[in-house]
Amino acid sequence: MRKVLFYVPLVLFLALALFLLSGLFSDPRERASAALDTALPDFALADLMQPQHIWTPEQLRGEAFLLNVWGTWCPTCNAELGYLTELRSQGVKIVGLYYELPRDPAFDAPFDLAVLQQDVTQKLAQHGNPYQFNILDLQRSLALDLGVSGAPETFIIDANGVVRAHHIGDINPQVWRTKLAPLYQQWSQP
Amino acid sequence: MIVEAGQLALTFAFALSVLLAIVPLYGSFVANQRLLLLAKPLALGQFVFCLLAMLALIYAFRSSDFTVINVAQNSSSTLPWYYQITASFGSHEGSMLLWVLMLAGWTALVAQYSKALPLLLQGRILAILGIILAGFIAFSLFMSNPFERSLPFYPVEGRDLNPLLQDFGMILHPPTLYMGYVGFAVAFAFAIAALMSGRFDSIWARWVRPWALAAWLFLTLGIMLGSWWAYNELGWGGWWFWDPVENASFMPWLAGTALIHSLAVTEKRGTFKSWTVLLALAAFALSLVGAFLVRSGVLVSVHSFATDPGRGMYLLVFLLLVVGGSLLLYGRRMHSVRSQARYQLFSREMLLWGNNIFLLTACLIVFLGTLFPLFHKELGLGSISIGEPFFNQMFYYLTIPFALMLGLAPWVRWKQQQLAPLIKPFSLLALAALTLALGVMASMQTVQANLALMGLLLGAWVGISALAEVTLRIRQFGSVGKGITKLNASHYGMTLAHIGFAVLVVGVAMTKTYTVERDVRMQAGDTAHVAGYDFTLVEVYELNGANFGGQAAELDVRKDGRYLTHLHAEKRFYRIQRTIMTESAVHARLSRDLYVSLGEELPGNAWAMRIQVKPFVRWIWLGGLLMSFGALLALADKRYRRKTSGQPTEPANA
Repeated sequence: MRKVLFYVPLVLFLALALFLLSGLFSDPRERASAALDTALPDFALADLMQPQHIWTPEQLRGEAFLLNVWGTWCPTCNAELGYLTELRSQGVKIVGLYYELPRDPAFDAPFDLAVLQQDVTQKLAQHGNPYQFNILDLQRSLALDLGVSGAPETFIIDANGVVRAHHIGDINPQVWRTKLAPLYQQWSQP
Repeated sequence: MIVEAGQLALTFAFALSVLLAIVPLYGSFVANQRLLLLAKPLALGQFVFCLLAMLALIYAFRSSDFTVINVAQNSSSTLPWYYQITASFGSHEGSMLLWVLMLAGWTALVAQYSKALPLLLQGRILAILGIILAGFIAFSLFMSNPFERSLPFYPVEGRDLNPLLQDFGMILHPPTLYMGYVGFAVAFAFAIAALMSGRFDSIWARWVRPWALAAWLFLTLGIMLGSWWAYNELGWGGWWFWDPVENASFMPWLAGTALIHSLAVTEKRGTFKSWTVLLALAAFALSLVGAFLVRSGVLVSVHSFATDPGRGMYLLVFLLLVVGGSLLLYGRRMHSVRSQARYQLFSREMLLWGNNIFLLTACLIVFLGTLFPLFHKELGLGSISIGEPFFNQMFYYLTIPFALMLGLAPWVRWKQQQLAPLIKPFSLLALAALTLALGVMASMQTVQANLALMGLLLGAWVGISALAEVTLRIRQFGSVGKGITKLNASHYGMTLAHIGFAVLVVGVAMTKTYTVERDVRMQAGDTAHVAGYDFTLVEVYELNGANFGGQAAELDVRKDGRYLTHLHAEKRFYRIQRTIMTESAVHARLSRDLYVSLGEELPGNAWAMRIQVKPFVRWIWLGGLLMSFGALLALADKRYRRKTSGQPTEPANA
């Protein structure tokens, strides 16, 4: 018994080595959204351009679409607008989730919808408008529920309103071809 | 040309280290004295070649030779000369070469200062260091060559050194830290050599002790410098973040601290042998695991190096061979080693055993906290992260019993201690600690904070107890003058290190409790009132440095209307890397730091400023320094330099 005790450190070390080995082959930064394969979280958010219209998950059912998290403040988001517009012309339905940055009451001007709308209109005119419509997530509550860590991020939502895929980073022709197009094909099948 | 010479030197060093790994080891098994005698010249020779390789790399950086990929990616021609030198170990490749050089240096030192050792043991120790060296030099040569050229296409200007690393603390931090990390390789080699021969007496422990102490000294200094650097350079006034890379340096430190205490028992009493050997293996194994974690990209960290699975794979295999092999040897050999000495429940042995338990628990907590996200993910349970609150809370609870024991232990005798004689001095000590702690609290004018009270109490307890104990020992020699000189250096070292720990505990508790932090918007002429100090922004102007631009802010600080000091905070924009860095303004006093960092420019000619008043934050680093000085004093002890001929010497009282 005493003899066996002295092998305990070795056994523990080998177990650790096993974890380290498997850790070598996975990316620690990659995180799956907890919302994956569940229905869209409940929300009631205003449309960015027609704030009197309130969007809820029920209204988004019926057709698969891309939910693209973006903001005019985010250079990468602006850069991908062009390619997304191209995708829209190929018949991909894209809905924007406008991610408004938090404001510091001490330093920042108060939120002004008219200024934001003007900003967005100008950006979309400049780079192309891929969106059917934009949902304004002023308090970032839907983004939080979806596990958004920044912008841009894109989700694929199927016709039943279930979150099927989560992509962190921009969408460019290569990412679309190799990763997102097959998923979109799969989940937009009727 | 010089760069190629460096490459060649490293290749020679590799060849010599392979010989060093094989020849004396073979000699030790066939009892060939001539082969064993080769160990020393081989060890010195490989060090010379490693040094030449490092000098060649520094030359490449100083001459801004951008055909070398490493130089092009981590330096630029506008970089000041001293940062060009430190850039040579700022990258993964360069730091690996520094690591190799440090290891080679330790090996050469062992070769030089181990004349007292039996030839067989000396040969084996150097051969084991040779094995480790060969592994790391091969890694440097084949997996991450610092001399690689990008001919024929090379950039005309380098990408500059990461601005985070352009700081005085960064010049000293990596070399000191690496000295500590690889220093534990010596204790490791001693342990393996002893496992081979099966001899673990107090003489062996006395040989290992100075090496372990020296490594611990450097590691302590290195960690402290890193913390100081983060405080000055990261701009938000923190000094420890529980980042995986910090933890990677903290774990060997905890194991090393346990090791130097356990070694004391093995030297004085001939027990704790299996503990001591295991800790010697663990301290270095944790250094290696740390190197793996930092360089393989298994964990997310703010300062890990660029990742490459090939390198990770190499390090993992190396780790498996070195650590797995040594633990296998441990399992096969250690169970036959018995300790002779007996001791009672209340004795210094038991208290030091408690010290080991607490330090290892702390190490385990850091280990699990650091690696739990990895375990969790690899078991398919999803991603999680473990943050500061977990570690802080765990260390809060661990420190209390640990510090209480620490105040007690130096008073308690070896083998057996009667409780009665200690009751009176300890009641007085406890009373004194309580008075001191409450006195300081009262002067801070708030008594509500229990973390601060606890910290002060424990600090006072450990500090007063250490001072009283050393006074008692001095008195035991008869006269005070005689006692001061008679008491050996390692005893003073211990006392100083324990006081250092007390100072550290007080620093942490006070900073955590009483730091006042305000984010303010300021225009020139505005005054902010923070914790009784008035900070007036005098002006903000444009900066123009060698490789950076940006803004600088000048502030005047007044207290109760009296002018106190002038502060100069910078926000630098490094042009080549296009990154923004804050250079915080710090006005340091033993009792508090004033800390200002310049933030964003706001509309209306105003600036965001972060102003902090941090009481006792200096004590954290002062504690670290005292601990290092303690180790230095202990190293100066005469008994490590006495020629040991084989028989145990003086009956010890330290």
